Amino acid sequence: MEKKYGVYLCKGCGIGEAVDLEKLKTRAALKGKVPADIIKEHQVLCSPEGLELIKNDIKEGTNTLIIGACSPRVKTDEFDFPGAITERVNLREFVAWTAEPMSDDAQSIANDYMVMGIIKAQKGDLPEPSILPDLSTALLVVGGGAAGLSAALEAANAGYQVVLVEKEAELGGWGAKLYKETPRSHPFEKLEEPKIFDKIKEVEAHQNIKVFKSSVIEKTDGQPGLLDVTIGKNGSSETVKVGAVIMATGWKPYDASKLEHLGYGKPNVITNVQMEEMAKKGKITRPSDGKEAKKVAFIQCAGSRDANHLPYCSSFCCATSLKQAKYVREKSDDAIAMIFYKDIRTPGQTELFYKSMQNDPGVLLTKAEVTGISDAPNGNLYVEADNTLLGEKIKVEADLVVLATGIVPSTRAPQEYLDGLTEAGKKGDEAKKVYLESTPKPEFILNLAYKQGPEIPTLENAYGFADSGFICFQYETRRTGIYAAGCVKQPMTMADAAEDAAGAALKAIQCVEHVAKGIAVHPRAWDITFPDPLMIKCTSCKRCTEECPFSAIEEDEKGTPFYKLNRCRRCGTCMGACPERIVSFKDFSVDMVGTMIKSIEVDEDEFRIIVLACENDAYPALDSAAIKRIKLNPKVRIIPVRCLGSMNLVWVSDGFSRGIDGMMLLGCKYGENYQCHFIKGSELANYRFSKVKETLDKLQLESDRCQLVQVAINEYDKLPEMINDFVERVEEIGPNPFKEF
Amino acid sequence: MADATVVKPDLDFVKGVIAAGGESLKKCYQCATCTVVCNVTPDKNPFPRKEMLWAQWGLKEKFQGNPDVWLCHQCNDCTAYCPRGAKPGEVLGAIRKQTIKQYSAPGALVDIVNKKALMPLIFIIPAVLLAVLLSAAGTFKIHEGDVIFSKFASTHFLQFVFTPVLLFGIAVGVMGMRKFWADMKQTNKVYSGDLMASVTATLKDIAGHKKFKECDVSADRFTSHFLVFYGFVAAAIATAIGVLYIDILGLESPFRIGYGTPVKIFGNIGAIGIIVGVILMMSNRFKNAEKLGVGSYFDWLLLSIIAIVGISGFLAQLLRMVSVAPIAYPVYFIHLVFVFSLFLYLPFSKLAHMFYRGAAICFNKYSGREVK
Amino acid sequence: MADKKKVLVIGGGFSGLTAAVETAEAGSDVVIVEKTAFLGGRVAQLNKYFPKLCPPNCGLEINFKRIKNNADITIYTLAEVESISGQEGNFNVTVKLHPRFVNDKCTACNACNEVCPVEMPNEFNYGLDKTKAAYINHNQTFPFTYVIDGKHCKGKACAKCVEVCKYDAIDLDMKPETVSLNVAAIVLATGWESYDISKLDNLGGGRIKNVITNMQMERLASQNGPTGGKILRPSDGKEPKNIAFVQCAGSRDENHLPYCSYICCMASLKQATYLREQYPDSKVSIFYIDMRTPGRYEQFYWKVKDDPGVTLTKGKVAKITEDTKTGDVELVVEDVLANNRITEKYDMVVLAAGMVPSTKDSKIPGEISYTHEGFVVPAFLKKGMFAVGSLKSPVDVARSVQDATGVAIKTIQSSRR
Repeated sequence: MEKKYGVYLCKGCGIGEAVDLEKLKTRAALKGKVPADIIKEHQVLCSPEGLELIKNDIKEGTNTLIIGACSPRVKTDEFDFPGAITERVNLREFVAWTAEPMSDDAQSIANDYMVMGIIKAQKGDLPEPSILPDLSTALLVVGGGAAGLSAALEAANAGYQVVLVEKEAELGGWGAKLYKETPRSHPFEKLEEPKIFDKIKEVEAHQNIKVFKSSVIEKTDGQPGLLDVTIGKNGSSETVKVGAVIMATGWKPYDASKLEHLGYGKPNVITNVQMEEMAKKGKITRPSDGKEAKKVAFIQCAGSRDANHLPYCSSFCCATSLKQAKYVREKSDDAIAMIFYKDIRTPGQTELFYKSMQNDPGVLLTKAEVTGISDAPNGNLYVEADNTLLGEKIKVEADLVVLATGIVPSTRAPQEYLDGLTEAGKKGDEAKKVYLESTPKPEFILNLAYKQGPEIPTLENAYGFADSGFICFQYETRRTGIYAAGCVKQPMTMADAAEDAAGAALKAIQCVEHVAKGIAVHPRAWDITFPDPLMIKCTSCKRCTEECPFSAIEEDEKGTPFYKLNRCRRCGTCMGACPERIVSFKDFSVDMVGTMIKSIEVDEDEFRIIVLACENDAYPALDSAAIKRIKLNPKVRIIPVRCLGSMNLVWVSDGFSRGIDGMMLLGCKYGENYQCHFIKGSELANYRFSKVKETLDKLQLESDRCQLVQVAINEYDKLPEMINDFVERVEEIGPNPFKEF
Repeated sequence: MADATVVKPDLDFVKGVIAAGGESLKKCYQCATCTVVCNVTPDKNPFPRKEMLWAQWGLKEKFQGNPDVWLCHQCNDCTAYCPRGAKPGEVLGAIRKQTIKQYSAPGALVDIVNKKALMPLIFIIPAVLLAVLLSAAGTFKIHEGDVIFSKFASTHFLQFVFTPVLLFGIAVGVMGMRKFWADMKQTNKVYSGDLMASVTATLKDIAGHKKFKECDVSADRFTSHFLVFYGFVAAAIATAIGVLYIDILGLESPFRIGYGTPVKIFGNIGAIGIIVGVILMMSNRFKNAEKLGVGSYFDWLLLSIIAIVGISGFLAQLLRMVSVAPIAYPVYFIHLVFVFSLFLYLPFSKLAHMFYRGAAICFNKYSGREVK
Repeated sequence: MADKKKVLVIGGGFSGLTAAVETAEAGSDVVIVEKTAFLGGRVAQLNKYFPKLCPPNCGLEINFKRIKNNADITIYTLAEVESISGQEGNFNVTVKLHPRFVNDKCTACNACNEVCPVEMPNEFNYGLDKTKAAYINHNQTFPFTYVIDGKHCKGKACAKCVEVCKYDAIDLDMKPETVSLNVAAIVLATGWESYDISKLDNLGGGRIKNVITNMQMERLASQNGPTGGKILRPSDGKEPKNIAFVQCAGSRDENHLPYCSYICCMASLKQATYLREQYPDSKVSIFYIDMRTPGRYEQFYWKVKDDPGVTLTKGKVAKITEDTKTGDVELVVEDVLANNRITEKYDMVVLAAGMVPSTKDSKIPGEISYTHEGFVVPAFLKKGMFAVGSLKSPVDVARSVQDATGVAIKTIQSSRR
């Protein structure tokens, strides 16, 4: 595309009163190397008249627009010109609202931003999507329990082909093993018949769903839209092609054999799963002598909420025990069910179920810390407890004890195995070999043929749950196109799992629809740009394949990286990682930002600091400070980046070699509760910054001139102060000695 | 865990409390709102939350010698604020009933006041007994001429019949109270205290209706109970003076027609107090019914007996004044029957609270628990 | 998938936004109808999320960005659904648009706000401060266009804002309008309100100045709140150093809300961290019936419990009184496990007020069944209509998001049938 430029300056919202526009024009034309006559100004550019001005130029052939007005976060509908490269320069928030009007500083800031905007437009290009051929829109659902069945049905009913793989011989999972279900609907009082069987029938009869039972996934290869899934069944294998995956492989009960302190192992101590089986068979009896159980004790949190076992709450056991107490009471009116709880957790409307169960004369409840189970006469047991409502230390006789065991996600075992492997790997090849030989390999779920491992990476301290870690975005995944649902993700009830599964199915659909159009998925779900490497210069250093948060880059036999583009989320981490600077997007590249940095005017006796700001949080925070008219330090120049992960170290030398005195990175919080939607952007940037120290030291530059600050979007009040602090520190160090060159 | 207390749930006890008017018992989820809003509970080991739990678990031995259920005046503040509708006020009432049962003998009389089906017996037994005795005295008929009740039942007859009944009631009550006292001492492991001072303080509390004033939700209970209580006191004093006049001083009855003695006026004021008080009690129960419940059978039985005693007595007097013999004598007979019931069932009915509550309040002082 | 039918989302809170954006990104046209002047609902009023303690505005910003980048989403603010008729695939909906008195020319320069002489209680801050009648609710809001409150504005008699607006953006003559929509599916996402604590007479709600709600606490702790994020007690602006949280203030109480409001335990634990962080010498007491921190939230509970400045006591506070001289607040509670009734004084008390479905008081037109508590009964909804989040049962943001994303697939089923 041959570019025809148009530069527009808005005088509204105080810009006209803050900056001498004539000077700005002159400067922009000179340094931006554009003819002065294409720079136009308007009183209110976003007004219909102002927009008319731009649109008329577009009619005349202008196709590259640089708009010096307000923040790109606002007036997005007005300044939307399809087909034209549009670069918005934030003169309002970053100059008019935050700098001293008509000061040299204000003028200088405006000059720099306008020039950078022009350079960005010059270096950029209009993106076109990359669409891979032969895409599949079919979905793979792994797991045929409550969540899996729901996901399959929802997707199939929305018109998508579904392949459902279930490890067991029958569909239904735990839901099919229940005697009754806890009430799901108003008035939340009556136990309900398990609904799972209707769903199984529906799934098995659905024309859009193909079911594989007694099957496991041997291998998942490829990328969203083009996933080749090898399904193994009775020794034979079949490969199906799907576009996206819903992982609903559920949970396992916590291993009760670890609960010896709660009496497991004694004949009359059973788990809630065994209780369900027994109730389903008809009678509630004691295993030791088959006598009908009349005094049944339920021990809540058997394993759950216990630092030595499961340090989380399994969410459904309270309601389950209340339900099972009902079984006991239904079978015999002189039977009692005693529930020993830490807290009764029946959130939301489930409280109404608790209320109704509580009202049964034979259901007795107390808060208690159960300390042990001991033998009582006649094969009975004593439940021993501390800190109960009934007294400090008590024991109660029971003829049957039910342990309300919790859940362990099916992802936990593979995760632990893989974590162990990584640990061993760190110790060297020998340790790794020993580990592989000595550790039994658990059942893997997806068996991804991905560079970064065969399963979805789980969060730190998530105990194996494949949770997203984001409150707002429950399906943010580190493996594009693969979405977890149900208890594999969080402990939840079956009803919740069904809802969750519908959500995961939707995300899978979005994924296949987006790859079909060459658009990224969340969080840049509008982006049609993609990383386009100049492979000729690749040295196969593999930093990109290691640092890509989404395992979107594979290596061929020779070790040369190549993209699985549909896994890519367009964060630019590869661009930041690459020491050869070969990765570029149409509207974002190492050269582009580098040139922008180099264009910044550096005065000999002036300090100049560059701030690279994450556009998701830091940039809006800076905008917000501006909206509150908090002054920004005039020595800084802010450049937004997709993610700090895209920060390439060459920018540091670009800046310092040009006399920049300091460089500040504003990124999201990292660590355990990281807030980066590209997982590790700011952490990686910080890591790279630590490496740059050596370079700076070599240049005899103080490494304190570079700093990363973690900032959240709501910290806009403090942000200008944080910047001031950094500027002060740099001023203390003194000017960049390269300035004079 | 050698020192662990063995807890023995008793489903029958639970069902018993439920049947005795505590049907909301199981709704309690131990939030302790009741304990907080209660204006009469001590801070240390307060009630009624713990009693609710004991009752839910059927731990009947916990109620042996428990003064707290009796410290409750059933003002129903707890019930008003209970988030679960568990009505601790009613439940404690039901537990108190169970306690009365436990401490009072003979059991047959306990059953009569507790079982709705046996209700007629409450009136039939005294009615038959009185009828037989009056017939034996030859006065069981409608007498001609001016209505003079002593013709129907002579002063001596009344003394000979009613004094033993009253003494029986009091004796049974006092015996129960002593057993209860002993249990309280044992359960709470209190062996010494200033008994006389506690008794005096207790009597002061009762005389001043101190506890009633502390209620929030049904504060008007102070008035009604005050009226009934002092109504009975006045009636008792008037009766005693009557006995003094007739039997000791050998004077004419101070209650005879057309003779407005202060004693008679005093007695009448008492009667009016009883009637107004009991009507207030009843109307209060309806007024707060939605929130607090109308109360149990056991409550209503006593209220009804008192109401009938008061009204029939007053009516008999009016009928005597206007000399309508055919109605006056039957009404008088009804009055006698119900007074008889009141005395006979004194330690078995809800009226037994005078023994147990009195003892509990006293014990609370005696054991030093009341001190805040 | 013949012609593209629209999906209507009623409510622009986080559930509604999620349902809308997820639906649109799966390829359908979406219309959002929001009652107030801005999107974001309750989430916009929160300081931080539990358990991550990250700012909710981050997620809102991303969702707003998704909306800005998506041509398939139409937004009506100050809009109320007046009628719904028809059936799945063909619902006819009329929407009343209340005047904003500010048009799209607004640049959010704040000039109108500066001159506006009218001050009114700031609803966004639950009445903790005042705002002008020409305002935006916070500085990261969306749409980023001012609004003039029709009820409080003095109208053309004043018109100072009109004079000062350089952009011709204020039109005090703006009239209500009605728009008709034809949609294939409808998502009900009108969210929840905080329980009116003035109904809790024994807890001094609405009567005692230093007894506030958990939502008010969020506002006090928020940078964009009435105190700029500094937690100060309302009566005298004193720094509260000794604070009590009263759980189940209204919830699990058949005199008020018989259900559990799900979020309050986690919310109070979270707010305890606000206080402990802001005032390291502060003491926080939390009084609860059952501590409800399901799933991995348990870890957060442990973390807060381990803080020596935080005490957790099982027992429901049922009596709160005010020391009128000092403004301090006295509460009575039974420490249930110790079987001991305690009376304690605090600088400030936070009532963990429960969630009330918005449909308790303002019903959505159309044939919709509600429970006595005002929740929508999903089983009785017409085909093609879906309720999300707290309209069905109290839930937190995470579960609302799951639910709203799940509902998006159902709207697609409806619009493609």
